[in-house]
Amino acid sequence: MIVLAMAIFPLIYSLSISFMHYRLIPPMPPRFNGLDNYAKILGQARFWSVIYTTSVIVIFSVFLQYVIGFAVATALNAKIRGSSVFRVLLLMPMLIAPVAVALIARMILNPVIGPLDQFLTMFGFPDLPFLSNKNWAMGSLIAVEVWQWTPFVILLMLAGLQTLPRDVYEAATLENASKWRQFWDITFPMLLPISVAIIFIRIIESFKIMDTVFVMTGGGPGIATETLTLFAYQEGFKKFNLGYTSALSFLFLIFIIVIGVIFLAIVKPYVEKRS
Amino acid sequence: MRSLLQKLALGTASVALSAGMASAACEPNYEGVKLTYITQTGPYIASAIVTAAESWSAQTCGTVEVVEYPWSELYPKFVTSLTTSAANFDGMAFPPAWAPDFTSFLSEMPAAMRQGPDWEDIHPTYRDRLMVWNGKVLSQTMDGDLHALTYRIDLFEDPKEMADFKAKYGYDLAPPKDWKEYLEIAEFFTRPDDNLWGTAEAYRRGGQQFWFFFSHAASYTNHPDHPGAMFFDPDTMDAQINNPGWVRALEEYVESSKFAPPGSLNFSFGEVNAAVSGGQVAMSIGWGDTGVISADPKQSKIAGNVGSDVLPGSTDIWNATTNEWSNYDEIVRSPFMAFGGWQAAVPEFSSNKEASWHFIQHLTSPAISGKAAVTGGTGVNPYRFSHANNKELWADLFTPREAEEYLAAQVNSLDAKNVALDMRLPAYFSYTEILEIELSKALAGDVSAKEALDTVAAEWNSLTDELGRDSQLAAYRSAMGL
Repeated sequence: MIVLAMAIFPLIYSLSISFMHYRLIPPMPPRFNGLDNYAKILGQARFWSVIYTTSVIVIFSVFLQYVIGFAVATALNAKIRGSSVFRVLLLMPMLIAPVAVALIARMILNPVIGPLDQFLTMFGFPDLPFLSNKNWAMGSLIAVEVWQWTPFVILLMLAGLQTLPRDVYEAATLENASKWRQFWDITFPMLLPISVAIIFIRIIESFKIMDTVFVMTGGGPGIATETLTLFAYQEGFKKFNLGYTSALSFLFLIFIIVIGVIFLAIVKPYVEKRS
Repeated sequence: MRSLLQKLALGTASVALSAGMASAACEPNYEGVKLTYITQTGPYIASAIVTAAESWSAQTCGTVEVVEYPWSELYPKFVTSLTTSAANFDGMAFPPAWAPDFTSFLSEMPAAMRQGPDWEDIHPTYRDRLMVWNGKVLSQTMDGDLHALTYRIDLFEDPKEMADFKAKYGYDLAPPKDWKEYLEIAEFFTRPDDNLWGTAEAYRRGGQQFWFFFSHAASYTNHPDHPGAMFFDPDTMDAQINNPGWVRALEEYVESSKFAPPGSLNFSFGEVNAAVSGGQVAMSIGWGDTGVISADPKQSKIAGNVGSDVLPGSTDIWNATTNEWSNYDEIVRSPFMAFGGWQAAVPEFSSNKEASWHFIQHLTSPAISGKAAVTGGTGVNPYRFSHANNKELWADLFTPREAEEYLAAQVNSLDAKNVALDMRLPAYFSYTEILEIELSKALAGDVSAKEALDTVAAEWNSLTDELGRDSQLAAYRSAMGL
C-alpha cells in the first residue's frame, strides 16, 4: 500500500498541477485554470514540431539499431575468431553515460578541428555542417543514438539467438534450405517476440532522449532538433512554469502510450502468425 | 604535591596561552564557522572562490566549502532552494540578470562594507547599478563583464594587408569604429583557403548567443536621450525589440556569421575563444576572457599580438519615442554590459550572514580580486579602478601594449557616456528563450530579421501580460535605474 501510494502520489500531484496556472518564477499563487494548459500546448506549433522531431529521431534510430544490431548479433553468434573480444568491445558504447558520448561526438563533429572533418577533407568534403544545419544535425543525432544503443540490441538478440534449437537448423540444412531461407523462415520468426520487446523498449527509451541533444545541438539550429524532454526541461527548469510543464508531461505520457499501443497492435498479427 | 600543582598550573597556563595565540591568529575569529557557497562548475568563477576561501580560512580560521553546479543546473538550484526554503548555503555567486528572481531572498550588504576606499574603488557602473535593487545593495560584484573587441595586431598592422585593405575599401585598416567597418574587415579577412576567417561570435542557441546580438543592437537602440528604453518602453512596458534599430542589428548579426569559421552556428563563447586563440579569426567580440586566454602562450597561437578596443558604435540610433532615426555627427559608442559579471550574495536565511559577508569582502578585496583578474581560468575580469590602474599586475600576462589596449577597452567601455546595461527582469529565461529560438531561425535563414523580431515582440508582450505588466514594468525600471 505504501509502495503504491509512493508510486501514485507524484502522478496525482503532477496531474492536479497540470490544471493550474502555477509559476515559481516570478512567484505566483497557483490558480485553477481547467484545461487551459493543455489547450495552449496543443495549439502551439512548437509542440507539434518537437513531436515531429522526436518521432523522426526515434523511428530512424530504432530501425537502424535493430537492423545493425541483429546483423552484428548474427555474426557474433557464428562463432567467428575473437568473437568474445568483439562482444566486449561492441558493448562498450552502451556503458558510457549519454552526456559523455554527446561531448565526445561534439568534439569529433567539430567542423574545423574535429577528426571527422579532417578525414573527410582528404576526400574533398571539408567543413561539413554536422551540427549547424538542421538536416545534418538530425542525422548526427541519429548516428550517435545508433552508435550508443545498437549494443543493447546486440546483447539481447545474441541472447535470443543462443537459445534457438540447433536441430531445426540441422533439419533445414538436410532439406537444402539456403542460409537466407533459414534466416527468414526460422531465425527471424523465432526471434520475433524478443524483437518486438526490444524495439518496444528502445522506442520508449528513445522518446526520452535529452542529454545527447542538450549537449550536441542545444535543440538548435532554431528548434530543429528540440525533443519532447528538452522542451519540457526548458519549460520546467528554466522558466519554472510548473502547471504548463506538468500538462506537457502528461501529454507526453499519453503520446507514448498511444505510440506503444499502435506499435503493439500493428505487430501482434505478425507475431501470432509467424511464431 | 607542590611540584605536581606547579606542573598543573604551568600546563594550564601554557594551554591558555596557546589558545590565546590561536585566537589572536584568527582575525576576526570565525573558528568553527563553516560557510557553504554555491556557484557554477569551475574553473571559471569557482576557482576564484576556492582560492579566496583558502586565504580567508588562514586569516579567520573559518572554513568555506564551495559547491559547484553545472551552468545549466545553477539557476534551477537557486530557484528551488530559495523559493522552497530548502536552502542550506550561506553564499551564492550568480549573474546579475537572475537577480530580479532572487532579490526578495537576499540579505542587504552590511553598512560597514559600503564605505571606505575599497568601496569607492569599485567602478560605479557595477557599484551603483548592478549591485543595487530597489535602492538596496543586495550583492557584490566579483567579476566585471562587458563585451569588447579583440583583434590580431599582426594582421591589422601588416603593411601588405593594410595596403590591400585601403585599396579595396578606401579607408585605413584599423579596429572597426562602427559595425559597417566591422563587417567589411570581417569580409576582407575571410580566406577559407588560408584557414582564416573574419570574425567569430556565439551563434548557438543556449550558447550565450543573445548577448552577442545585444552587443550589436546596443549601438542602434540605446538612445542617449532615452535611457532604459532599449528593451522595453519604460512607460508602458511594450517590447521594443522589433523596432528598426533592432532589425538592423539582427541583419548585421546574421551577416557576421557568414564571415565566421564553418559550423559557427553551433559556436558558444568557448568555441569563440578557441577560434581566436587558435589564430583562425582576425577579430571577435566577446568578454574579457578572450583577451586573457589569447595572450597566454600556453593556450594561444597569437600571444603577443592581442589587440583590444571598445565595441564598434554607430552614428544612427533609433529613437523609440519619436519613431525615427537620430543621426549624430560623431560615432556614438554604446558598449554593452553583456551579462554584467558575477555577483556574490548572502541569502537572508543564512545563519552565518556576518561571516559570509566578511568572506565576500575578502573575495572581492583589491588584493585578492586583483590577483584573480590576472589569473587565466578564473573568469574574473576587471571591475575595480585598482585592477586597471595597477599595470604591474598585468605584466606577466600581457605585453605592455596588449595590457594598455586591454585595460583601456575595459575602462573606456565602463566610462562610456552611453554604456548599455543588460536586461534584468523577473522570468528572464522566459524572455530570452523566446528570443533565442527566433534568433536561431533567422541565423538559419528560415525567417527574415523583421519576421523573427516581430514574433519575439508579440511573445514578449504576451508574456509580460501573463506575468503582470505593472510588476514587470516596476522591475524593469528598477533594473534600468529609472
